[in-house]
Amino acid sequence: MKITPRKLVLEASPYLFILPFVIFCLILLLYPVVYSLALSFREATVETFVSGEMPFNGLTQYQAALADPIFWRALTNTLLFAFFSILFQFTIGFLLALLFQADFPWKNFCLAALLVPWVSPILTAANIFKGLFNEVGPINRLAQLIGLGPFPWLADPSYALPATIVANIWIGFPFNFILLYAGMRSIPEDVYEAAKIDGAGFWQRVGFITLPMLKPVTVAVLMLGTIYTVKVFDIVWIMTGGGPANGTHLLSTYAYQVGFSVLNFGEAAAIATLLVLLVLLLNLVQFLLQRGR
Amino acid sequence: MKTNTTLRKPQFHRLVMLVSALAAFALASANAQVTVEIIHYFNVEGQLASLSEIQKEFEAANPDIKLRFTFVPFGELVSRTLQMAAVRKPPAISAVDNPDVLRVAKAGILKDISADVAKLKVWEDIYAGPKAAVSEGNKVFGMPIGSNSLALYYNKKMLTDAGVTSPPKTWAELNETVKKATKSPVYGIAFSAVNDEQATWQWEPFLWSNGGSLTDLGSDKATEALQLWVDWVKNGFASKDVVNWSQGDVPNQFLGGRAATMVMGPWQLANVEKSGLDFGIVTIPVPKEGEKPVVPLGGEVWCVLKGDPKVEEAAMKFVAFTQEPERLRKICDTFNYISSIKSVAKQQGEAKPAIQPFVDQMETARARSQDGGAKYPEISLATRTAIQKALTGQASAADALKEAAAKIKEVLAKK
Repeated sequence: MKITPRKLVLEASPYLFILPFVIFCLILLLYPVVYSLALSFREATVETFVSGEMPFNGLTQYQAALADPIFWRALTNTLLFAFFSILFQFTIGFLLALLFQADFPWKNFCLAALLVPWVSPILTAANIFKGLFNEVGPINRLAQLIGLGPFPWLADPSYALPATIVANIWIGFPFNFILLYAGMRSIPEDVYEAAKIDGAGFWQRVGFITLPMLKPVTVAVLMLGTIYTVKVFDIVWIMTGGGPANGTHLLSTYAYQVGFSVLNFGEAAAIATLLVLLVLLLNLVQFLLQRGR
Repeated sequence: MKTNTTLRKPQFHRLVMLVSALAAFALASANAQVTVEIIHYFNVEGQLASLSEIQKEFEAANPDIKLRFTFVPFGELVSRTLQMAAVRKPPAISAVDNPDVLRVAKAGILKDISADVAKLKVWEDIYAGPKAAVSEGNKVFGMPIGSNSLALYYNKKMLTDAGVTSPPKTWAELNETVKKATKSPVYGIAFSAVNDEQATWQWEPFLWSNGGSLTDLGSDKATEALQLWVDWVKNGFASKDVVNWSQGDVPNQFLGGRAATMVMGPWQLANVEKSGLDFGIVTIPVPKEGEKPVVPLGGEVWCVLKGDPKVEEAAMKFVAFTQEPERLRKICDTFNYISSIKSVAKQQGEAKPAIQPFVDQMETARARSQDGGAKYPEISLATRTAIQKALTGQASAADALKEAAAKIKEVLAKK
């Protein structure tokens, strides 16, 4: 068969169309990940990085990371941070989504207002929370009004982590809300009507209709939420810098510190790799739980 | 559709001509000129204006050299410098923070400029501290642009009201001052102990003035210096929030009337003056009367990177240009530096008596890298963890420091 230029263009065009995307993936997604993974098995310090030799040293970086008590503190913090963030983000988002199934005046305005945390720059939000949790900030003044405190919110390791979690809940709940809200809207009205006729109360309808029919959305929300939350960096970095006394380090902030403060790029890459593994593991667990049910 | 997406012939020809003209122009100018790229993190308006003024003067005096200033965020300067060198495209000059100079030098990317600086008039007149920051043995890895350090700012009215007649000179007087001046909601003193280099840097004046060292944190000297801070926080003379205050937050406390004194550098002077507050500055109080305060040095260093010899030479020309005494004085004034050169610093003190305490401290000031050399950043990391642990009551000052000392011993033992 004769290959005409026209035919060639037709044959090749689908590939050409996806070519930009493939290049984008290779350069901006795959390359950094593979490079970081490779770096984690090499001795990449100031000297070896510049000379380019970066000798392969197997699992040394991982051993060094795992031997450091700050790593374990950061891992525990990451899990606590993710668990409580998602728990409250999801619950608040779910309840609000339920509320918004009803009609009330100014509903659209409220809907837009609720999305403000999600669209506000994290730099701004984190700095505002830093001010709110200040020793003489509004939160302590409120607490003192009812005879509590003042609490050393960001000045004490055991208070500082909850404070950063509160900030993260505020930033993240609208995401949960809007997806769950949209999910609930797509449940057909007649199912509820049938249940009502059968005499099901409000919470029964929520428990037996909304929750089960919302499951695909719930799963997606929780998985995305896990990914977003486990890799949070900016909120904590701005509010506490991982302090006080390393009490709020997450794996992400700790990796940054090892990489850019100590300039041990190899170990930082190892910690980052472990962070990615943690995200995969948590999503796998969620996936299995969901299938098991 | 075809005609819309394809250039018509005359258009295409014009485009080709334009591109080749541009390329030819670029090539021609590249041949005639050497470009000196300088990476830095200066971002205050006055500093940038001053840099562009120097650039104009320098390029007028050296038509064959072009300067290009590239801004890099503070936290990324060292890694960017290393990265550019690693891909064999080093900048000509990197304006490195002085405690990082020896560490960057250890990567083997900085040019030893000892022969060049020896020719500079100002080099003989440099203070010992800034010289140590850029030297390793006989090698010199940079030329300080200028220095800064820490001293004690005090609110005159608050001290008078508290019955303190003269600003504190010794630790005993300082303790007395902060105790008397504390009157809710006013704290006696504000300082920064945030979880980064700032905590170590702010504590060093007390540690070093007491004769301690970061490489020997297990000593009583170190414990005493940290206990001083711990007691202030424990007794409520300083806010618990100091562990979360950066040096940007501290002046807000002082200017907002919530702190009677603060540990702060000369870069805040203009700000404090502008506020109209009646204040004074004294050198950092010392453990016993008659002792000399030993403060850490801040400030950036022009580091020339190894590369094309022609570029190296041009870069060194620029460095020398900035060191001509009159120009240096102007740079130091706009950058809020105390000059690292004795005669220039003296002039600055005479012109502006408020900064005299900072000038006085220059004689005994130390480079941070004098504790641990290239390993200073890692040592500082362990130190600040100890500071934060002690201040938040996670451990006693002695225990926190012992733990840090063990960690630092490990760091120093590594090759």
